[in-house]
Amino acid sequence: MFKNRIVGSTAAICMLAVFSTPTVYGEANQVGNECFESRDGKTQVTQKEVAPGTLNVRCSPTTGGVLWWGDPFDGTIPMGDMPASVDADYLHEEAVVKPREPEIDRNKLLTVCTVACHNGEYVPVPQSKEPRPLAMHQDIVPDSMKLAHGKGAIWCLDCHSKTNRTKLIDHFDNEISFNQPQKLCGKCHGQVLRRWREGIHGKRIGMWDKGGKKRWWVCTECHNPHDVEQGNRQSGFAQLYPEPAPMLPKGMPNADHERVKHGPGH
Amino acid sequence: MSKDDSKIDETGSVSRRDFLRKAGTYTAASLSGAAMLLSDPKPAQATQNVTWAEHFQKNYRLMTEEEKQEAIDRLEKRYSEEFGKTVTVDGSPAIDGVLFGYALNIQKCIGCRRCAKACVQENNQSRGPEQEIEWIRVLRLEKGEFDVNDRDNAGYPEGFGVQVGGNAYKPAGVVLEGQHYYTPEQVPEKDAFYMPMQCMQCEKPPCVKVCPVRTTYRDPDGIVVIDYNWCIGCRMCIGACPYWARRFNWGEPNLPNEQMNPVTHYLGNRPRMKGVAEKCTFCIQRTRKGRWTACVEVCPVGARKLGNLLDPESDIRKVLQTKKVFRLRTDLNTYPKFFYFMD
Repeated sequence: MFKNRIVGSTAAICMLAVFSTPTVYGEANQVGNECFESRDGKTQVTQKEVAPGTLNVRCSPTTGGVLWWGDPFDGTIPMGDMPASVDADYLHEEAVVKPREPEIDRNKLLTVCTVACHNGEYVPVPQSKEPRPLAMHQDIVPDSMKLAHGKGAIWCLDCHSKTNRTKLIDHFDNEISFNQPQKLCGKCHGQVLRRWREGIHGKRIGMWDKGGKKRWWVCTECHNPHDVEQGNRQSGFAQLYPEPAPMLPKGMPNADHERVKHGPGH
Repeated sequence: MSKDDSKIDETGSVSRRDFLRKAGTYTAASLSGAAMLLSDPKPAQATQNVTWAEHFQKNYRLMTEEEKQEAIDRLEKRYSEEFGKTVTVDGSPAIDGVLFGYALNIQKCIGCRRCAKACVQENNQSRGPEQEIEWIRVLRLEKGEFDVNDRDNAGYPEGFGVQVGGNAYKPAGVVLEGQHYYTPEQVPEKDAFYMPMQCMQCEKPPCVKVCPVRTTYRDPDGIVVIDYNWCIGCRMCIGACPYWARRFNWGEPNLPNEQMNPVTHYLGNRPRMKGVAEKCTFCIQRTRKGRWTACVEVCPVGARKLGNLLDPESDIRKVLQTKKVFRLRTDLNTYPKFFYFMD
């Protein structure tokens, strides 16, 4: 039942090299093991002890997914300001997020990208947002010659700062932190942003009660921003390995009976 | 009186005198035994003593506050010894002004079953090859098809043939004949969607209606709970539940010490015994302390929502106001507090 699985995930790419960060899921829950929260390979968390005998997370030995939070606020920072169109009690609750920058910058290349390449000299600052063939970055964005997100209506610099690659931008070219992608995504997906702010889109953990502290999941913790629809699958979420099926009732040799296709004569 | 008084008379019944004499002897013996066991301070017999005391306790609902506290103290002592760590048993009552409601986005669910496994982590169900209990089951439902070529004459009613959207022999659209044991390489699959089911915390619960000892009942916050100590294992509730939500401990539950969650509630995830029914309690040990349930927290796509139905600003109320919502088997007038919704 227990098995190790190696998941390769391509990480941030710079001009210099292509790096990958293989993740090995341990056989049991123990300090130092790494598992993922929502997106496999993009929302990693390392197990550690938050109290005697209590781990920050418990992980599935079969899929490597987080199954249980010992401390729902472990490793979080304040969410920051979020403009809202209505005044409501929930807007005044303590809201925290897990910073995305350390996850995105696992190989510490984001800053290098800005200094070494996109410094305005080595690679000139683009004068327009017009799409152009990309010689680089096809590792970060698969099929980047034909960006899936927006289906041709948007391009890299609609979201990424053209002068500072460690930041995103809003409509007025104001910089947005990778830790607050909701400010970026809300540029176009206003309805979703509103529902997210109300707590009915996306995910929160922690305290359900009014005034209770909550950890909010931000957009890129669940969705791949470069291909939200996951290609032709139009799902919104990447496929995951499912947890094992429940035990068959005693005396039932297999579950073939429920796999019968419906059709004539059924 | 003759010595024959102690014999069975001609009608086959024991004489009254003999019955009273024997009954008096047994009662005195059992009471003195129980008293001795209850007062015995030897640590080696502590667990046994606690078990004896548990046998004599009342239905949890009928206990005074002091009796409830005594019962909780006994359990904490026994569990801590059994599992080798400090186990807390909470007895928090329902919070005033709270009625729990649950909503599940059936459009988002990817069928990964992490909710079912997280529930086991939190709620101390039996696990292992001998007896595995999960309170949440995820059904895999086929997406329906409609093809003009399928419009044959084999359908219902006889002679009319064409039945838009399927007929008696060819279901179209959603059919509630799901797979419980699906094992694809990855989820979600293209031709399927998924429907998790668990206790719906009905406002008019059939399980409560049928319980002959009234050990299961609905608390004011809407959670249907079980006092495991009063469960007689008749399984009437399991038969009555239209949502397949209840499970039964056919054997002694297997709960490894290191996996046991020591934060428990008397009416929730405290370790159960052989021969009692159990089910989802909306993680009562968490929700009555303000924290979300384990399944809400673990869902990797945020499909699960829980909140206070009496609070107009809660996420559950927003779901009911803005989404397309349905409940399962409303024809049975169970008034579930578990809603399914779509974007």
